[in-house]
Amino acid sequence: MAGAAGRVSGRPRALLRVLAGLRRYALPALALIAWELLARSGRFSPILFPSLVNIAREFGGLVTHGDRLAEAWYSLYRALGGFALAAAAGVLIGTLMGRSTLAAGLFEPLFSGTYPVPKIALFPLFVFVFGIGSLSKVALVFLECLYPIVINTYYGTRAVNRVLVWSARNMGATPGQILRKVVVPATAPFIFAGFRVALPIAMIVVIITEMIGSADGLGYMVIYAFASFQTARVLAAVVAIALLGLALDGILVAVRNRLVFWEKLESYYA
Amino acid sequence: MMRSVRLARTISLLALLALWQLLSTRAMPEYVLGPAEILRHFTAALVSGELFPHIGASLARSIPGFALGTSVGILLGLLAGVARGLDELLSPVIFLTYPVPKIVILPLLMLWFGTEDLSKVVIIALACFYPAFINAYYGAKATPAILVWSGLNMGARRWQVFRKVVVPSALPLIFAGVRVSLALSFVLLFAAEMINARAGLGFLIRQSENSLRFDLMYVSILTIAVLGYLGDRLLRATRKRVVAWQELQGA
Repeated sequence: MAGAAGRVSGRPRALLRVLAGLRRYALPALALIAWELLARSGRFSPILFPSLVNIAREFGGLVTHGDRLAEAWYSLYRALGGFALAAAAGVLIGTLMGRSTLAAGLFEPLFSGTYPVPKIALFPLFVFVFGIGSLSKVALVFLECLYPIVINTYYGTRAVNRVLVWSARNMGATPGQILRKVVVPATAPFIFAGFRVALPIAMIVVIITEMIGSADGLGYMVIYAFASFQTARVLAAVVAIALLGLALDGILVAVRNRLVFWEKLESYYA
Repeated sequence: MMRSVRLARTISLLALLALWQLLSTRAMPEYVLGPAEILRHFTAALVSGELFPHIGASLARSIPGFALGTSVGILLGLLAGVARGLDELLSPVIFLTYPVPKIVILPLLMLWFGTEDLSKVVIIALACFYPAFINAYYGAKATPAILVWSGLNMGARRWQVFRKVVVPSALPLIFAGVRVSLALSFVLLFAAEMINARAGLGFLIRQSENSLRFDLMYVSILTIAVLGYLGDRLLRATRKRVVAWQELQGA
């Protein structure tokens, strides 16, 4: 591609560059056009292929109606609540495991033994224990997010350069100072890598649990609209969920790049 | 060192089970069962054979979905990692839709492909596609350029370089991705079967939940847990064999 463009000189080259830049958007644009054509062909029921205009209208309704916006708020609050609890507990447990062999011996078997077990299957049980409301969802989000955060923090604290710890100790730093000034900053990239894995999991778990057993939230909205054959509303909710997921990841990357400023991370969709 | 770690591991697991057993015999709500009881129900269900049709129904959905999603994901990921045109075409869409919980389009897939197995296979394949694609993509991109140059310099064709240099160098990352895909396949299987199914382990959980048969519920949950664990073990064993040159680190 570079070779082909290199041989053309002057204005056509600029044109080629613009075209090459547009290629990023080619596939989504084609997909949207194909979708709209299918929807307008009259060959399919709008239940199967609702027009983009209708989806946009439903999305507008979702954003402007307070009661529908509240559904998004429920989902967001459950995902972030469980994630925040898991972040606090996970970093604590992971750091403990990394700094003390006793804690590692105690927790490591629990986490590595149950890591490949699909925790989502516990949801029906959680509903009995914590009720059908937000608590059972937050608890499951907490449990699912805990694993990547603990494991990443644990490996991060173990990967801290020993020379740094020794030098700090040699220069008279207290264990608390070593933890705060050496271990935590050195582990921060790992911790954020764990957060980055956990955050989409939080959204997945919230949406799934709302689809399975709930009376509110975006996941419930999807199932309810589906059951009443309002496909345009289903897709509007899908768009809302997608935007939420992207926004959360974008915020996380921004926070991370501010705190871990010495090691930039590229956002996926920059 | 190794032995003491193993000892601590066994002791802490046993202690947890003992604590659970002890608590469950105290005055607890009906839905709390002890490990001994669960194991008893589990063996009873295995002996009576009532579990097997559901295991079969679940595996008939998850295995094709997993196989399809990961193989297409690995293939496209590797190709996008080496071919810039494909990269610019595919990657923006895939990275943009990556953090979206795939389960949300299950209703649409049920409208298109029906409420039988096909829509479940497709949703599982879709969820498994992403981690496989992304890891294969980064794996191919991270191939040391000097290896590619040496290969070309020694007269290897592009296809040979791809097969003998890029693919092996991407394999460790690919396995990491496939492991995530495997975990996701169980999540999606469970969710899809809870939402709509007439057989399968997720269906069994839902049914036992509705009829308050806690024994059956625990047995189904334990079965999913065991299947997830076995699948992961199988994947690790394969990985050990295929990526023999790279030591497996961590759990």
